[in-house]
Amino acid sequence: MNRLHLLLVLILAVLSGLPLVLSKYTLGIFIMIFYYAYLGQSWNVLTGYTGHISLGHALYIGIGAYTSVFLAQHYGLSPWVGMFAGGILASLVALILGFLGFRFGLRGVYFVILTIAFAEITRLVVSHIEVLGSFSGIFLDFDPSFRNFQFRGNIPYYYIALTMMVLSLAAVRLIEISKLGRFMVAIREDEDAAQALGVNTFKYNMIAIAISAFMTALGGCFYANYIFYLHPDSLFGMGLSIELILRPIVGGMGTLFGPILGSFILTPLSEVSRAYFSKGGLEGMHLILYGIITILVVLFMPKGIIVYVRQWLKPLIPERKGDD
Amino acid sequence: MEKKTVTRAGMNRRTFLKVSGAAGLGVASATFGVPSLLRAAPKTIKIGSIQPVTGPLAVIGQGSRLGNQLAIDYINANGGINSMGGAKLELVLGDSESKPEVGRQEADRLINEGAVVLVGPFQSGVAMAIATLAEQRQVPFVMDVAALDAITQKGYEHVFRVFITAGGLVAGALKYYKTVTEAAGVHPKRAVVTNTADPFGKGMSGGFLKMLKGSGLPVEVVERIQYPLGIQDLSAEVARIKAAKPDIIFPISRIGDSVILLRELYKQRVDLMGIFGPGSPGWYEPEFVKDMDKLAFYSMTNVPWINPESPSYQRGNAAFLKASGKNLDTNSAYAYTGALVIADALERAGSTKTKDILKSLRETNYADHPVVGGAIKFNDKGDNTGALTALVQIQPDPDLLKRVRIVLPKDFAQSENIIFPAPQLWER
Repeated sequence: MNRLHLLLVLILAVLSGLPLVLSKYTLGIFIMIFYYAYLGQSWNVLTGYTGHISLGHALYIGIGAYTSVFLAQHYGLSPWVGMFAGGILASLVALILGFLGFRFGLRGVYFVILTIAFAEITRLVVSHIEVLGSFSGIFLDFDPSFRNFQFRGNIPYYYIALTMMVLSLAAVRLIEISKLGRFMVAIREDEDAAQALGVNTFKYNMIAIAISAFMTALGGCFYANYIFYLHPDSLFGMGLSIELILRPIVGGMGTLFGPILGSFILTPLSEVSRAYFSKGGLEGMHLILYGIITILVVLFMPKGIIVYVRQWLKPLIPERKGDD
Repeated sequence: MEKKTVTRAGMNRRTFLKVSGAAGLGVASATFGVPSLLRAAPKTIKIGSIQPVTGPLAVIGQGSRLGNQLAIDYINANGGINSMGGAKLELVLGDSESKPEVGRQEADRLINEGAVVLVGPFQSGVAMAIATLAEQRQVPFVMDVAALDAITQKGYEHVFRVFITAGGLVAGALKYYKTVTEAAGVHPKRAVVTNTADPFGKGMSGGFLKMLKGSGLPVEVVERIQYPLGIQDLSAEVARIKAAKPDIIFPISRIGDSVILLRELYKQRVDLMGIFGPGSPGWYEPEFVKDMDKLAFYSMTNVPWINPESPSYQRGNAAFLKASGKNLDTNSAYAYTGALVIADALERAGSTKTKDILKSLRETNYADHPVVGGAIKFNDKGDNTGALTALVQIQPDPDLLKRVRIVLPKDFAQSENIIFPAPQLWER
């Protein structure tokens, strides 16, 4: 265990203890931080590591949310199980999308368009399915119990979100150090070269998109049982797709801690500035501020804030030996 | 002796630090509210207002926020809450950005800042997110505007709605249609329903068609025409309408397509007894009335509406006009009403405890409000049993502002005379 690990354990310990001292509202901010960090990390698996830009990740959030809620409402299935059903369904959809994209070599903007199209089509289809609440959406029953994934206070949600974030971090770390991760990075750096060197790019792209979709969908189930309201526009819409990629971009794409760092910066920024400018007369200032900061980061720190944090933390990171 | 004087008069570094430190502490504790027990200022009661003040509905949201605020100002100007020693009300402000999760988070923040009741939030989706939060945190939530029936169907204890439900809106349309046709002794047989193919248009027309079918009224819908929101040309649709030979049209439209539809009906000379909007924005907007002039005359729309004759409206409107340069419209008037209902409940509760406020809200019987409807009373689901829509008709008047008149219900009518069947569009 080196000093970096020690720092991480320390941060985790502090985060675990926060519910003892913070109000429900402040915990709510942290829940949103963890939630968006988790989603950003899930997106990072595909886009950060293989370089295929997805602008339709809301699709998987929506599938996760709707599937788990549908199974709970109609078959009494606990969302704890339903969330994995949603994850599997999202993976299947992602594999279809991935097949079309990777099999036919859609890259760059063409792949982006494909992801947007899938999300938008699903949004329109769900908007017209009566059992899924069509365009009025689904209003969940509030029946607090562990089995129902519903709680009165914010503390259980806080720990669930924290756990999800930490697990996503662990999952991405495992991918990163595995053969899969190396291949994914090779694809990101130069897909043709990777293929020439014998990497089965189609296979590893498909694995990446399936994992990414699966993870994202679990987040959807969390959202559903935290907000209690599903609407096709807010769950499959472009707005959410963009919202969830901002954090990894600001934090640093294709890095382990980038999405988390991004979320720890952007989420409180939007919450605190909204609260600060809500006093009247300055409506919308928080959005302007949010936009300006995002632009500045993209302009002046194109590789994400993580690069600078790494420099500060340099003394903590052990020297790498050999050709690792 | 000499030494003493020096120490008294001069100030060395150490004493300066002590003094300024103490002063700083005092300031800090005052700002952070530590010695609040010591302050004898009159108590303030916080009410949390969550409206979509930024995003696609910003204009409406800001009007609604102002509506909430002006009601609070009115109560404060008249001595605050008397039962609590003249306690002043304070509106703490939240912005939903039109997003359910933001609305929820904002509501949680306002509760954290000490709001004992919540009011808002204009959109049904945001309302559902806040309704569950209100139930979780056990804080009463009074919805000023939000129509979807489902919000109050869960039987939540802490949720109340001043606005009419979507079901109530459609029921109002049928009731007024029946009254109008019976009073005129004319019964249209063939009808066309038109709607925009967006969630609002489809939902509204779907509900209306269903209720019309079950109503036993002697009118048959011979054609239902849907077109996309934002359409620029309706000539083909109106040709279909003409071919269906309707006696009456039930349009569910917005201001843009209302203009195009009406012009096209005129151009193609479609014979009609009248135009009856079951719940359609557009047909009563000031711009529409001005631009369409004679063509707009006699069209009727069923809509939640202001009660311009009420003293409450006149008070609210004067304040609203002064603050924003605009008239109090349906949305802002309902926002004004929502905050008044809360103040009334607090006055009767004489306490800011949730239990007392809930009890007092359930016993609400509040008639001094600025909208068309009976006294506000809440049923066991939290819906307002006094909520009503109005039927407005555009009637000829040299003064544009006086053209939109309430014709039903009778108690609120600004014109005794309902003109139906109407003269044909080209004969005016």
